[in-house]
Amino acid sequence: MARIEPGNGLKSAESHKSLRSTRESLVLTDGEGNSFSSDSELNGYTSERQTDKYGFIGGAQQYSEQSAENIPPEVLRQREAKWLDMLNNWDKWMAKRHKKMKLRCQKGIPPSLRGRAWLYLSGGKVKREQHKGKFEELDSQAGDPKWVDVIERDLHRQFPFHEMFMARGGHGQQDLYRVLKAYTLHRPEEGYCQAQAPIAAVLLMHMPAEDAFWGLVQICEKYLPGYYSAGLEAIQLDGEILFALLKRVSPLAHRHLKKHKMDPILYMTEWFMCAFSRTLPWASVLRVWDMFLCEGVKIIFRVGLVLLKCMLGSQDKLKTCQGQYETMELLKTIDTRYMQEGFLVREIIELPVSERNIEKEHLASVRRWKETRGELHCKSPPRMHGAKAIMAAEPPSHQDLRQNPTIIVESPLATKRNGEDKERKKTKEEKNGKKNHSPTPVAANPFPEPSEPSPLLKDTAMQGSNQSLSSTEHDTYL
Amino acid sequence: MAYAYLFKYIIIGDTGVGKSCLLLQFTDKRFQPVHDLTIGVEFGARMITIDGKQIKLQIWDTAGQESFRSITRSYYRGAAGALLVYDITRRDTFNHLTTWLEDARQHSNSNMVIMLIGNKSDLESRREVKKEEGEAFAREHGLIFMETSAKTASNVEEAFINTAKEIYEKIQEGVFDINNEANGIKIGPQHAATNSTLSGSQGGQQAGGGCC
Repeated sequence: MARIEPGNGLKSAESHKSLRSTRESLVLTDGEGNSFSSDSELNGYTSERQTDKYGFIGGAQQYSEQSAENIPPEVLRQREAKWLDMLNNWDKWMAKRHKKMKLRCQKGIPPSLRGRAWLYLSGGKVKREQHKGKFEELDSQAGDPKWVDVIERDLHRQFPFHEMFMARGGHGQQDLYRVLKAYTLHRPEEGYCQAQAPIAAVLLMHMPAEDAFWGLVQICEKYLPGYYSAGLEAIQLDGEILFALLKRVSPLAHRHLKKHKMDPILYMTEWFMCAFSRTLPWASVLRVWDMFLCEGVKIIFRVGLVLLKCMLGSQDKLKTCQGQYETMELLKTIDTRYMQEGFLVREIIELPVSERNIEKEHLASVRRWKETRGELHCKSPPRMHGAKAIMAAEPPSHQDLRQNPTIIVESPLATKRNGEDKERKKTKEEKNGKKNHSPTPVAANPFPEPSEPSPLLKDTAMQGSNQSLSSTEHDTYL
Repeated sequence: MAYAYLFKYIIIGDTGVGKSCLLLQFTDKRFQPVHDLTIGVEFGARMITIDGKQIKLQIWDTAGQESFRSITRSYYRGAAGALLVYDITRRDTFNHLTTWLEDARQHSNSNMVIMLIGNKSDLESRREVKKEEGEAFAREHGLIFMETSAKTASNVEEAFINTAKEIYEKIQEGVFDINNEANGIKIGPQHAATNSTLSGSQGGQQAGGGCC
């Protein structure tokens, strides 16, 4: 029952602690609508709770030194500069330097820019621009009671140990409701599937509701089409694909699962439907999503294959799990060393499983499905393998990619932000007293991390932008 | 720990009726209102004693939303017992019992023991389904019935244990073929030892792996 276990202590590293008050939690109610007056009913946390650097106050996914890697601040600053440059010239980078972009996603998107980068990678940014006002319109409508009822029932059951979602009726839960409800209105024939909620919640941890909505739309329609449709055929097909790929990656694990008649949906449903957001330590979730949104579903397959290979790939390990239940138990309590950020990312990158492999197995599993179970009921649109394919399918205009910060920071260094690009650049040069001819204006970061020193970011961004146009990768942190 | 028998259970029923809470109350003896939604499957295990015999229960807890129904079916395979749960404060969860029952009967072995559970009995003031209605439904469909509260732990032990007793009786009557694992029952090392004059348990028989 690893899932329901509360915090493994509050062992976040000293350097990454942030003390944030979560007073909202004092008005929490339980599943039956009773108010809590004391925190003792919430696993003994006090009202002044310490969150880790991701906002978790407990749960198995919290930050720990064992599970995450630390990037030196100067490397992070450089990366931020490079990412700002990419975001400012997104179409060019996509068209001509996609490989490098992929590499940078593999290295990890800087936390301060992750939300924006995800929105660009997923094509959610373009969708948002092309459908201005759409979210607002959906948001203002009342949803179908059939879906609204289930969504409301689920709100307090998504990342209950994350500060954003722990308070009943708090801003996180409200936004989650808005995003999920909007989706049911956007795709009434699909409605709401419970596994969409964690996906939306992860997005909401990084971006405002409207952006998260478009991110969700892209994931549901382009990255994982059919996953959340009635009948769950797509996820079952992917289970077959995973199992077929495993045969090559780890014949031993494959044989074991086959011997114990382990239908893939027994162990891969939550992994795939939630894109591992409820399985891995948080640092790894973020890295997996960085790559997933850039490269597509093959990353999800690779994570699954790596975990299966690591957990079931040797005779030694199999000796202790002679049975379906024991195997399930093993796969529910994956050894933390295999999920550790650095280890996992390396394994994912090195695993030779390509889009082509997946497509080939996809055809084979559809064929088998038709032979054994007849026609598929749900005709999902074809799957897009990553950011480049999505952009190629629906080419955006230059305007669609323009950055328009949603929050303008009124600080002495950030005045006149909302002017024309030219104006902004000029201001900047004056302020900095530098002759910097970067073609890329720097937009204010709409979602600054609390620890992010934004003035510093701006300066290095300008310098970095020049460098990165011609640079090779300097940092070797993976 | 050695056991005489191992029974596989599944818990089914609409979303939000308290399936995961029942399981947690039974395995860990605690109620946790704040927990993650079940997607796919969760599970737990506990040892109980019936007729002086140690019995290990392996319990699979499933996702309740209708769209997961198609995959919940694969969990039924090899289950000896099922807890079919509804929420006494939500009439609709009671109304859906028939479809759950059809599903269960269709995808499990015919001897599977089904216990009907009306959960959240602590919320008397919000009750929408009378106890008599639950009893009548159970009678009509040949199920055992209990009202429970995962919050106060009322009847939770009894629900799991009475189901096990029923399965145990069926074994004694010879209804279950215990050598066929598809029935959701395994004979453990302890049983093998008591039935044999040879001491100890055979290594190959140790299906449980001793973990609980």
